[in-house]
Amino acid sequence: MSTVSIIELIVSAVLSAVGIIGFFATKKDEITDKKQKKKHRLFLVLIIIAVWFLIGTVIQIFSKIKMGLSVEFQLFSNRVTFFGFSVAETTLVGWGIVLIALLLSLIFRLFVFPKFDPDHPKGFQNVMELAVEATQNFTGGILGDYGKQVAPYMFSLAVFMIFSAFSELLGFRPPTSDLTVTFAMGLITFFLINYYGIRKKGVDGRLKGMMVPTPIVLPMKILSDIATPVSLACRLFGNMLGGVIVMHLLKSALGGYAVGIPAVAGLYFNLFHPIIQTYIFIILSLTFISEAVE
Amino acid sequence: MNAIGAGLAMLTAFGAGIGMCFATAKAVEAVARQPEASGKINTLLLLGCALAESTAIYAFVVALILAVK
Repeated sequence: MSTVSIIELIVSAVLSAVGIIGFFATKKDEITDKKQKKKHRLFLVLIIIAVWFLIGTVIQIFSKIKMGLSVEFQLFSNRVTFFGFSVAETTLVGWGIVLIALLLSLIFRLFVFPKFDPDHPKGFQNVMELAVEATQNFTGGILGDYGKQVAPYMFSLAVFMIFSAFSELLGFRPPTSDLTVTFAMGLITFFLINYYGIRKKGVDGRLKGMMVPTPIVLPMKILSDIATPVSLACRLFGNMLGGVIVMHLLKSALGGYAVGIPAVAGLYFNLFHPIIQTYIFIILSLTFISEAVE
Repeated sequence: MNAIGAGLAMLTAFGAGIGMCFATAKAVEAVARQPEASGKINTLLLLGCALAESTAIYAFVVALILAVK
């Protein structure tokens, strides 16, 4: 233990003690004085800051966390052995998420849904009906007749992406920050585009649709079709990996003091940002499918 | 050398930033003119911003590939 950390420990302990004593000393049965009230609140702020400092110092001393800007990561995730197979860590996390989603849906289907009353919906049934209806309206608004068929896939995609963003909170690398996972998602979208395009117009109809206005643009149209899954995959991958790197940098810069502050940043990088990216991925997929169908 | 290349690749962010700025400015104008159409404008704005941002994201991916070994 260095002298600096001992001084830090003493200062933070004294400050939190002062804060607690002051907090209880200024607490009276009824506080009518405005100045008294302000003092009371000031001591509360002091307690929060001092306790945060104390916890940070204790963690800094007793763990071997180094403070300083450094980030270590690889473009592709680490490989781990799982029952004799070498699989990527993100794939394993993705399997876990799929398993959780599958178990949840099985439990809902087998034990919760039979109890639902179609005439008098209440509570959880309302939530479920709202989710299903909102998804079908959303996909139907863009795709029209095919909207209802794509709705379950899009909803499960959204569930997978949001769950995988939350898996970062447990210390895993989120599956959506792996290029292979996002590329697989992009390939599924590519398959859906061609499936619905060919189903609506037939193979020659789809090829004819690419020859508008002249047949010369056919290679370019094919190229742009191939670029679609790549661009979708790279967009999602870059955005998610950017969020992960920023969170890593923040945690490494704060070292042992990374208590509470990363939670505030995580509100943006782990909650808002993934939801926006999910929305964009799904709306772009739907737009591309509707382009092929029209 | 790799680090310099990665930094140069990230210059693309200029273009993406300017593009998103134009899109947002026009969207704000549109909402100010027609507040009742804000839902539709929001969706279009998000879509446009995502497409404009994607250039910066490609640059980011390229920079990562260059910088990380």
